[in-house]
Amino acid sequence: MSSETVQTIIDDLGALLLFTMILIIAARQISHAIHSVAAQSLLIAIAGAVLATATGNTDLWVIAGVTLSIKAIVLPWVLHWVVRQLNVRREVEPVIPFSATLALAVAVVVMSFHLSASLGSVRQAITGNALPVGISITLLGVLVMATRKTALTQMVGLFASENGIFFTAMAVTKGMPLIIEIGVILDVILAALVMTILVLRVRSTVDADIADLDRLRG
Amino acid sequence: MTGERPLALVLFEMILLVLLGPLVTGVIQKLKALLQCRQGAGILQPYHDIIKLFRKGTVQADTTSGFFQLVPVLVLAATVAAGALVPVVRAGPPAFPLGDALMLLGLLALARFLTAVGALDAGGAFGGMGASREMTIAPLVEPVLMMVVFSTAVAAGTTELGTLAAHRGASWILAWRGADFLGFAAMLVLLPAETGRIPVDNPDTHLELTMLHEGMLLEHSGPGLACMMLASHTRQIVTLGLVSALFFPVGLADVAGVVGLLLGAGGFAAKILVLATCLALVESSYAKLRFFRVPQYLGIGFVCALMALALRIL
Repeated sequence: MSSETVQTIIDDLGALLLFTMILIIAARQISHAIHSVAAQSLLIAIAGAVLATATGNTDLWVIAGVTLSIKAIVLPWVLHWVVRQLNVRREVEPVIPFSATLALAVAVVVMSFHLSASLGSVRQAITGNALPVGISITLLGVLVMATRKTALTQMVGLFASENGIFFTAMAVTKGMPLIIEIGVILDVILAALVMTILVLRVRSTVDADIADLDRLRG
Repeated sequence: MTGERPLALVLFEMILLVLLGPLVTGVIQKLKALLQCRQGAGILQPYHDIIKLFRKGTVQADTTSGFFQLVPVLVLAATVAAGALVPVVRAGPPAFPLGDALMLLGLLALARFLTAVGALDAGGAFGGMGASREMTIAPLVEPVLMMVVFSTAVAAGTTELGTLAAHRGASWILAWRGADFLGFAAMLVLLPAETGRIPVDNPDTHLELTMLHEGMLLEHSGPGLACMMLASHTRQIVTLGLVSALFFPVGLADVAGVVGLLLGAGGFAAKILVLATCLALVESSYAKLRFFRVPQYLGIGFVCALMALALRIL
């Protein structure tokens, strides 16, 4: 594959990633958000595979495989399991209205494009839209975490944010060292496990939401 | 063919759209019936309805003004004129001055405005409610449609639909850029709103709580109602035609003459059929949204369209 074709495919995948991100932000049901984040991880795995064929970097194949199995299959499955355990279906409780979140999302995307345009020489070295798209997905994941009350949706936001970082790193560096990628993925798994246990324990002991935990009482 | 389109071809395409409009509605209704395990009416039913209505007399409310009788004709005229701007069987600029995509959207907006005015003129409660709802939805849909058009127009350097379609070329899905995916996603979100279907509007019902477009037609009867129905069928196929002109190739590049025209018409029919199937599937698998939820649903389309523009420009 020529580098131009790869660039085009990565750009297209970036657009689809943005679309899944919009779906996560606009999802009213937690299961929709989980499906979207699984689709997003699948797209990242495809991006990894495309870069692997283009660069001949075998590490990227491993990373694509690990992304596919862990982030696109296992973690969404764990999330679905937690949803079943808690027996909730509509637990996307926004702090601010959905339309306001969508408006903020637009602002974030425009801002990240503006920011990466102002990076100057760094931007020159990286062709295509991978950098601004990656930055905006990372920030939008943070936005989801900030504007939702419940822990599960915040977990989805964290995974989306992590996907954004992963995509940026992969597209910009054409493959980081394997050890770093594995470290990042392990971090996410650990975070997911800890959060899952925490959510289940908190729910079973005090039956409280994250929003109820904003004050310390002595 | 990507040469210029002569006047005869443009007229032929326009008439084709008007004649095929009810058929698309019939196909969607038949598909919906089959998905609901009903037999359903034949796909020609909309034609029968319109012919029946043209034979009937007109009954009007006493409160209507003289303008009310003109409304159906004007609405139909605006919609059909919009149909003339869509390339159907062949891409390429028209050989004579004709409007562009903005003109098309403007004509559709004009038809919508006239429909609302007619509904208010009759003074019925449902007409007023329908008009108010339609006018709440319209400003959310039209700018997004424009942004989708702009996001493809930026790449082609023109807003003329024939040239846009010619620019799309034959290798469409391979030539799609990131912005096209997002623009198409926005278009799919908008399509039910623009064609008056679930999850935004329900075309099958005359229940006062759910209707937008149908509510505005309640006061019309006979030939007037037939014109309004024909206009809404035409509006639907024009919108589908706009989608297919923006995102799919129109006509075939290397076949000339009558065979090329027939192949182009066949391709158009296939594209419309695919989009109509999508509409029928969406309509069968989703419930109508609560009215105050509609802006959020359309917000997804807005964000997609804006991101498509951002990917193109920034």
